[in-house]
Amino acid sequence: MPPNTRKKRRRPSAADARRRPKVCQFCKDKAEFVDYKEVAVLRKFMSDRGKIRARRVTGLCPKHQRALAIAIKNAREMALLPYISQRG
Amino acid sequence: MRSYELMMIHRPELTEPDVRTLVGEVEGVIGAAGTVSDSDFWGKRRFAYEIDHLNEGFYSVLQFESGAEMVETLDRALGLHDAVIRHKITLAGGKN
Repeated sequence: MPPNTRKKRRRPSAADARRRPKVCQFCKDKAEFVDYKEVAVLRKFMSDRGKIRARRVTGLCPKHQRALAIAIKNAREMALLPYISQRG
Repeated sequence: MRSYELMMIHRPELTEPDVRTLVGEVEGVIGAAGTVSDSDFWGKRRFAYEIDHLNEGFYSVLQFESGAEMVETLDRALGLHDAVIRHKITLAGGKN
């Protein structure tokens, strides 16, 4: 018989229990929309290289993650944010 | 009639009063067939990356209400304007 290669689901560790479930920052702030002009806010959701952070990292809801991505791309077009950053 | 937002970047070698008059001209054009509700002049700002060997430009943001034809003519005119490096027209309130 071949060895059982099916992956077992990982048992939740103690660290998982301690970690608070992420709440979408824009929902929390009751933001009506994600403004591409607010560079300081957008930067918080970007890596040092200027890449857009994944939803699993940002903890945003689908609606706001989409809006964020569009806002960052708009800000990039107007040279408010870099496409690529030399740092990091 | 819808609410729009226009952001323009003017060339850095112009003087600030010149840019302000250019922005005023745009306001006048919009005012002919709509209303400018807010005008924000950011001043000279560094770019996040080089554009046409330039590293800075004058930013200005206008909020206005107008019909769609106005946006079309404005978009074309600003694209051809020598003093405007880049411009962007979006629906106000991030409704794009």
